[in-house]
Amino acid sequence: MMADGYTGNILRVDLSEEKVSTEPINREWARQFIGGKGLGARYLFDELKPGTDPLSPDNVLSVWTGPLVGTMVPLTSRYVVITKSPLSGTFLDTYAGGYFGPELKYAGFDAVIVKGKAPKPSYLWVNDGKAEIRDAKGVWGKDMFRTEELLREEVGHSTARVAGIGQAGEKLSRIAGVTSDITRNAGRGGAGAVFGSKNLKAIVAKGSFGVEVPKIEEFVKMAKHMLKTDVVDNPEHAGLVTDGTPIIVDMSQDAAILPTNNWHSGQFDGYQGIDSDALKNRVFVRKKACFGCGIACGSWAKVKDGPFKGSSTEGPEYETLGLAGSNCGIMNIEAVVRFAEDCDRLGLDTISAGAAVGFAMDIYEKGVITKEDTGGLDLRFGNEEAYAKMPEMIAERSTRIGDLLAEGALRAAKAIGKDTEKLVIHSKGSEYPAYDPRGSIGMALAYATSDRGADHNRAWPVASDAYGDGDPWSTEGKAAICHEEQMMKSYKWSMIFCDFYGVSPENMAMYYTAVTGLPADADWLKAVGARVWNLVRAFNVREGFLRKDDSMPERMETEPLPSGKTEGKSVSRAAFDEMLSEYYKLWGWDDEGRPTKRTLEEAGLQEILGELDYLK
Amino acid sequence: MSKGLKADVEKCTGCQICAIVCSAHHTGKFNPSESRINVLDMFPEPGEVKLNYCIHCDEHPCVEACPAEAIKLNEELGVYYVDREECTGCGACVEVCPYDGCWMDPSESYAIKCDLCGGTPQCVEVCPKGVLKR
Repeated sequence: MMADGYTGNILRVDLSEEKVSTEPINREWARQFIGGKGLGARYLFDELKPGTDPLSPDNVLSVWTGPLVGTMVPLTSRYVVITKSPLSGTFLDTYAGGYFGPELKYAGFDAVIVKGKAPKPSYLWVNDGKAEIRDAKGVWGKDMFRTEELLREEVGHSTARVAGIGQAGEKLSRIAGVTSDITRNAGRGGAGAVFGSKNLKAIVAKGSFGVEVPKIEEFVKMAKHMLKTDVVDNPEHAGLVTDGTPIIVDMSQDAAILPTNNWHSGQFDGYQGIDSDALKNRVFVRKKACFGCGIACGSWAKVKDGPFKGSSTEGPEYETLGLAGSNCGIMNIEAVVRFAEDCDRLGLDTISAGAAVGFAMDIYEKGVITKEDTGGLDLRFGNEEAYAKMPEMIAERSTRIGDLLAEGALRAAKAIGKDTEKLVIHSKGSEYPAYDPRGSIGMALAYATSDRGADHNRAWPVASDAYGDGDPWSTEGKAAICHEEQMMKSYKWSMIFCDFYGVSPENMAMYYTAVTGLPADADWLKAVGARVWNLVRAFNVREGFLRKDDSMPERMETEPLPSGKTEGKSVSRAAFDEMLSEYYKLWGWDDEGRPTKRTLEEAGLQEILGELDYLK
Repeated sequence: MSKGLKADVEKCTGCQICAIVCSAHHTGKFNPSESRINVLDMFPEPGEVKLNYCIHCDEHPCVEACPAEAIKLNEELGVYYVDREECTGCGACVEVCPYDGCWMDPSESYAIKCDLCGGTPQCVEVCPKGVLKR
């Protein structure tokens, strides 16, 4: 092992042939793309045939760490699942914190690349440089709480880390995520269904190899200093330390962008039942951190009495409180804890599941679906009892509506017809996270141009326009924010930092050098970011995505919000198109949103030019 | 009165920074499996974090149990440490410790336990929530 943060090894798994092998990491690509998102994207671009059905054995499923993961660099404990999304059909990178990422590295691998389909349900056991494909019959059909427990027993390590799927992924739900450390989820885009399609229940890791860096004593000194000054004492992290993401509920209510009753309002009368105070006063047990994090934004929550007594989860986080709370008309944090726990257990993305249930409630109230479709449930907005049964119905595909929603809200609407498609708030089939663009116009662009379908973790203009002192309805500067942030997040996710570490580019470069021994500065990181974002865009273009797919749902224009600061507000199509055109120009893409030859060359992507038909 | 670390475990978030820095200090690598403090996150039940480490108890049954006399006194600090050169890896200390305070290195060839880093415990210095005290 070189002392440069990398283990140097990739674990190759061919499930069809039931073979595992180890190969050295491509060092040239590692220098160009670092790890995580970037390096994973480079391998996927190379190894996935365009047009592949995401749920076929030909899809490539990979799990990536990065050179910083498992070191003492704060807030880099993450891993990312990279594959083609069964929900959006785009490139998919979906992340989770917890402890699994570092453990995979300690077990000797920077990444695992899985191909084919196992002849029977299987799991992968990775331990100190070795791996084996094992029979998963003891855990197939079991939820992820139970699965973790049983697999730890099977491998004989009570502290082994487990990333896997619940019933939702097994049943190929396109909104199934990967659950690790029981409550940490690589949730978005349907990565769980890709596991399921390969008959892969879980990856179990335990390792004692450790991670080495060039100058450990200097490194520890630096890391101690940074942990204190840049993490613990950093005022930017204060809200995360005291409250975590639930603090955003009140901010969104005030800005009137809190999705409510399937996006029919930006304000929720019952918001105080699901906000940070509700969490702290009613269900909070203790603060919980991911590996190597001095912030501990997570809260372990448990319901103490009432109909949801005994339910527990880590969170619920803001997105869950928004989509699975206010957007379903649910004003009881205890019900949301139950919903979130079930999503963790069953392996469902709380954003997509919450959005799907909100959509179902909307069409139930409109009479499009009835109790015949819902297994007798009175699926009105705010009906906690019916709501709490939905994750299981989706994961198990029981009842007509459960089976339909397992495909994601858009596919469900298409199957139902009757003009319900316009009620689904999404881009590229990926349900919107919990920031209404009608009070943060920049988010319309951020969602439309997110590489994995609508998402909040690629650019977050809402910070300045709705929560800050910017103008929420002016298009000015919004394209620039998206361009700038997507570039930054592209290298931040390649390293792989947590979103919540307000780390400067200069410090990221400093960490990179301390871990790898290689030179870096903020400009170099920007170049990596541009390379990664253009590569992923090229991937999506190769899959057939064009300007028409960088879309905004019709209701954002036609249905003004009813109350508060966003009363009467909507997003005009012309304003949206104007931002999009400006955005393409900033990235050096043509009018269809395709990176030009020159842009790709400048980004150092000469070697993929031949793969792109539109350049021929 | 034990001379070891004190922990307010209710405040512990399970971040493992103590174990990360401990392993770096003792092994020159980031490798929590070789740490002298062990953080157990136990969720969903009982929903707690447990910290295992040598509390440097007054009785020190490990010292008496060691057939190789490999657990020696650091006279300056008044605490016992494992002399890796002399440890035979028999595991007698691990078995006899009532506090789950020592365990085998992953190589299974010698026992490891807290030695207070020669007087400046690294974990105490880095703990972001002030859980650990000397």
